[in-house]
Amino acid sequence: MLADVRLVAGKDLRVEWRSRVGLGQMVPFAVLVLVLFAFALDPDRGILTRATAGLYWVATLFAGLLAVQRAFAVESAPGVREAMRLTGLDPAAWFLGKAAAIAVQLLVLEAVLGVGVVVLYSADLQGPLLLVATCVAATVGIAAAGTLYGVLAAGLAVRDTLVPLLLLPVLAPVLLGATRASEAALGAGVDGWSWCGLLAVFAVLYTMLGMMFFGTLLEET
Amino acid sequence: MSLGALVAMTHAGYVAAGWIATVIVLGGYAAATIRRGRRLSLVVPPEERRWS
Amino acid sequence: MTTPTPTSTASPLTRALGIVSLVGVGATAWLGLVASPRDRLQQDAVRLMYVHVPAVTWMYVAVLVCALASGMWLRKRTDGWDVLAGAAAELALLLTGLGLLTGSVWGRPTWGVYWVWDARLTSTAILFVLLLGYQALRRYPAEPQARSRMTAVLGLLLVPNAMIVHFSVDWWRSLHQDATVSKLDASIEGLMLFTLAVSFVAMGVVCAWLLVHRFRVGWLERSAERHLLDAALADRRADADPSAGVAVGGTR
Repeated sequence: MLADVRLVAGKDLRVEWRSRVGLGQMVPFAVLVLVLFAFALDPDRGILTRATAGLYWVATLFAGLLAVQRAFAVESAPGVREAMRLTGLDPAAWFLGKAAAIAVQLLVLEAVLGVGVVVLYSADLQGPLLLVATCVAATVGIAAAGTLYGVLAAGLAVRDTLVPLLLLPVLAPVLLGATRASEAALGAGVDGWSWCGLLAVFAVLYTMLGMMFFGTLLEET
Repeated sequence: MSLGALVAMTHAGYVAAGWIATVIVLGGYAAATIRRGRRLSLVVPPEERRWS
Repeated sequence: MTTPTPTSTASPLTRALGIVSLVGVGATAWLGLVASPRDRLQQDAVRLMYVHVPAVTWMYVAVLVCALASGMWLRKRTDGWDVLAGAAAELALLLTGLGLLTGSVWGRPTWGVYWVWDARLTSTAILFVLLLGYQALRRYPAEPQARSRMTAVLGLLLVPNAMIVHFSVDWWRSLHQDATVSKLDASIEGLMLFTLAVSFVAMGVVCAWLLVHRFRVGWLERSAERHLLDAALADRRADADPSAGVAVGGTR
């Protein structure tokens, strides 16, 4: 099973690497969101510094939506899904592989965005361990939920507007937890590790839910 | 006591707004559902209606 | 062939529920608006609680029904469960909207504002969007089996999603003492408590009546869809082979 997971993840990441959509589009988009927030919130008035954690995670979430949509667009060409089904791949492995690929892309994005935030918003990172743990837990949660809801709407042409509508309310707690934990890591909040725990619970829950339901959602009519 | 003071003290406007909104929402939904049911009953043969 | 007499989704059950509903609503209105006393702190605004609290409570019940029906569909794959899930979700959306509306209207005279980011309102607002998403998915034209599958998984996930949102938002707002507002005076008693109980029951019966009718409408929609499909197929066959006799109005 692990081999299958690695297979699927490897395929997705290789497609990504060759097309450079992730690096070429997602990351600039997220950085652009940060810049736009700076325009909207006037850096001189201190709001930007206080809102740094929240804005970072909002930008990450939006980029995450792009990653999810891209992950399923790759397989929307006619016949691809049937071909993959015919390989006899365990749906749970397929799910984990896709989610892993999305997670890797998001982690790269978060690293770049972290640098962006330090530079553009003059944030100063204090609790590095908590920050890393938060990023990992939140990313796994976003990737797992995103993959599940991505495949849920995968057959539909309206996928592009439907997935955000379905996914963002589900990810609201992740935004909440990641922001609170990051604020604590940046020295401005409390209970950072508790929030990180919530993120971990969400991540585990959605990984399990994804493994359970991915097969059902891939069924032939 | 002026009407204004009376209304303010009893929050009558808000209570009325809330209750009327409830009646409109639930009543409207009920009416719409019944109407849809009647219209659909014209199209579907009686064997499929196993409740009347 | 005579045209079938137009009937409706009514039956002895719904007529009984309907009568009880009207009685219940009447009783709630009289008790809530006239007979019960003003609250010590909230004055007359408390009368809004007699619509708001039942709406929110039955909202949770409707979401649960939707999730259970979705789960049952995933197991049994029979139409009835899918139709029930859809009906319950629509009712839940209605009740959520109503809860938000009445809560907001209640908030103005009591808190002074139409909206606060307290735990309950915030998580209810998210639930509203979750239910909107469910409707969006349900209305999307797709192969019926595929649509049933997608909405079933979505419906089932409503419960864990709502719970996680509720829990995390609750925790978030509890860190800010000023934002914790309790909706009801802890010392609700006597006639007010009785009125609240009556309102619960009345709203419950109204919801049951609505659910039964909506379920039947959904059932009819499904039949109509299938009949349209059969008719279209029959037309195709007639086009392909006009000499063959095709039974008109055949039903299964």
